[in-house]
Amino acid sequence: MDNNRLKQFDMPGWLLKDERYCPQTDKDTFINKSILSVLSILSRIRAQSICKSAKYSVNAMFKVAFTFMLILLISFSRNFTFIVIINIYLISTLCLMDADVIVKILKISFVTTFFTFVVLVPSAIWGSSFNTIMITTKEFATITAVSILSHSTRWNSITGALKCFFVPNIFIVVLDITIKYIVMLGDFALNMLYALKLRSVGKNKSKNTSVSGIAGTIFIKSKEMAEDMYAAMECRGFTGEYNVYNGFRFNIADVIYIVINIGIIITFMYFERI
Amino acid sequence: MIEINDVSFSYSGDNALNHINLNIESGETVALMGSNGCGKSTLLKLINGIISPDSGVYKFDGEEITHKKLQDPKFTKLFHQKIGFVFQNSDTQLFCSLVYDEIAFGPRQMGMNELDVDKRVNDCLTLLDIQDLKDRTPYHLSGGEKRKVAIACVLSLNPDVLVLDEPMNGLDPRTQRWLVEFLVKINQAGKTLIISTHNLELVSEISNRAILFDETHKIVADMPTQKLLEDIDLLKKVNLVDEYYHSHEGHDGKGHKHFHDHN
Repeated sequence: MDNNRLKQFDMPGWLLKDERYCPQTDKDTFINKSILSVLSILSRIRAQSICKSAKYSVNAMFKVAFTFMLILLISFSRNFTFIVIINIYLISTLCLMDADVIVKILKISFVTTFFTFVVLVPSAIWGSSFNTIMITTKEFATITAVSILSHSTRWNSITGALKCFFVPNIFIVVLDITIKYIVMLGDFALNMLYALKLRSVGKNKSKNTSVSGIAGTIFIKSKEMAEDMYAAMECRGFTGEYNVYNGFRFNIADVIYIVINIGIIITFMYFERI
Repeated sequence: MIEINDVSFSYSGDNALNHINLNIESGETVALMGSNGCGKSTLLKLINGIISPDSGVYKFDGEEITHKKLQDPKFTKLFHQKIGFVFQNSDTQLFCSLVYDEIAFGPRQMGMNELDVDKRVNDCLTLLDIQDLKDRTPYHLSGGEKRKVAIACVLSLNPDVLVLDEPMNGLDPRTQRWLVEFLVKINQAGKTLIISTHNLELVSEISNRAILFDETHKIVADMPTQKLLEDIDLLKKVNLVDEYYHSHEGHDGKGHKHFHDHN
C-alpha cells in the first residue's frame, strides 16, 4: 500500500486510545422481546415452507375443501355422538404427525377451548350444561381441524388451492406475495433490531425514537420493494392478469382421504337423520 | 483476544458451523473466505454475541462468552462496545433520522457530554470523508455513502475489534479501493479487523491472514492470504473459484488474477 495515499486518513486521538468505559444499566427488555417475537414468527413461517411433503401428500385442494366442509358439518350438527366421532378422527389424524407439531396443535386447541369454557360457565350454571359441552367440543374439533390443515400444508399450496373455489388469481398472488414479504421484511426488521441491540452500549434516553426509526425504515423499505417488484413484473409482461397453475396429480393418498371424508358425510347424515 | 474452541452451531438442525477452532490476536486483520452459505456470517454473528454456540467455547479477552452472560445487560453493553459490527446490508444498521444522530447514537449512550459527542461525530465524518452528509437522511444516501455512515456509527464507539460482513459488496471500484485503504489505516491504528469477503482481488491488500471455509461449514485452511490465493486447487475445491480463474501479466510487470472465460 502506498503510504502517501494513506496520509489522507488522519486518525483522531481518541481512536488510537483504549476506551475506558463502564456501562450504565438500562432496561433493554423491549429490544430483546421484539427480537424473540420476530424470530418466532419467522421460524414458524420457515417451518411451514419445509414441512415434509411425503408424509402429508394429500392434494392441498382436497384438504382445503374437506376441512371447510368438516367445519360446516360440525357447525350444523346437533348430535353429540357425531362431534365425538369427529374429535376421535381428528386426534387419530394428529397422531400421524410429528411430536412437536402434535404438542403445538393440542396447546392451541386446549387453550382456546378452555377460555371458551370459562366464558360459558355461567350458562352451564343456569342449566345449559349440554350446550356448554357441545360448543366447547365443537370448538376443539374446529380449531384442531384448521391447525392440522395449516401445519400439514404449505401456505402457498393453500393459497393455490383457493383457485378451485373461484378466488381470482390476482388475489391468490397477493396472498402469496404477502407471505413472502412477511419473511423478507421480518428478516430485515430482525437485523435492524440486532443492530440496535449491538449499538445500545449504554443508557438510551430515547428508546421510542430508535424504535420508530426502525418502523419508518421498514415502511420505506417495503414501499421500495413493492415498487421494484411491480416494475419487475411489468418488465416480464405483467398486464394485470395472472394465471395460477396447479400441477394436479391424483394419488392413493387422495383416494383414501376422499373415502374417509365421504364416510364423515354419511355419518353426519345418519346421526342427523337426513 | 478471540479464542474459538470446537464451536458448532445449527439453525433448527441445519448445520452452520461445524467444530470451528480459531484464535485471533489483538491487532490482526483476518479475512474469512468461502462460498455462499458456508458459515462466514454465522461466525461473525457468534463473535458479536448475536448467537451463542450450541457446543464449544468462545472466549473474548480471556472471558468465556456464554448465553447466560449475554443476558446480563451490563456485561453485554461493555462487550458490544468492544466489538463493532458492520452489517452486510447497511440499510439494516441505520435507523436515525439524520446521519449526525446516527453517528452520535453510540457516544450519547456512553454518557458523553454533547461537546465530546460533537467532536467524536465530526472526527468520524472527517475520517470517512462524509462531512457533507451530516444533515442528510441516511435512508436516501447511495450504497457507498450508507456503508461509510454505517462504519462511522460503529467507529464512534471506538471498539477494539471491528467486524465487517462483506464490506465490498455493492460498492463501485473507486469506493472499494477507498475502503481497502481505510481498513489498512484503521488496522495500523491498532484495531483488530475481522472481515468476511468474496473479493479475491482485494483481500490480499486488506489482510495478511485468511481463514477458508468449505461447504461442510468447517475451516479447511488458515494461512497467509497470498499463499491461499496461490492455491488454486484448494479454492476450486471449496467452490470459491472456477476453472477460468487465472493470472495475467500486467503492463507494470506484475501479475493479477481475475475471472473470464476466454470465449
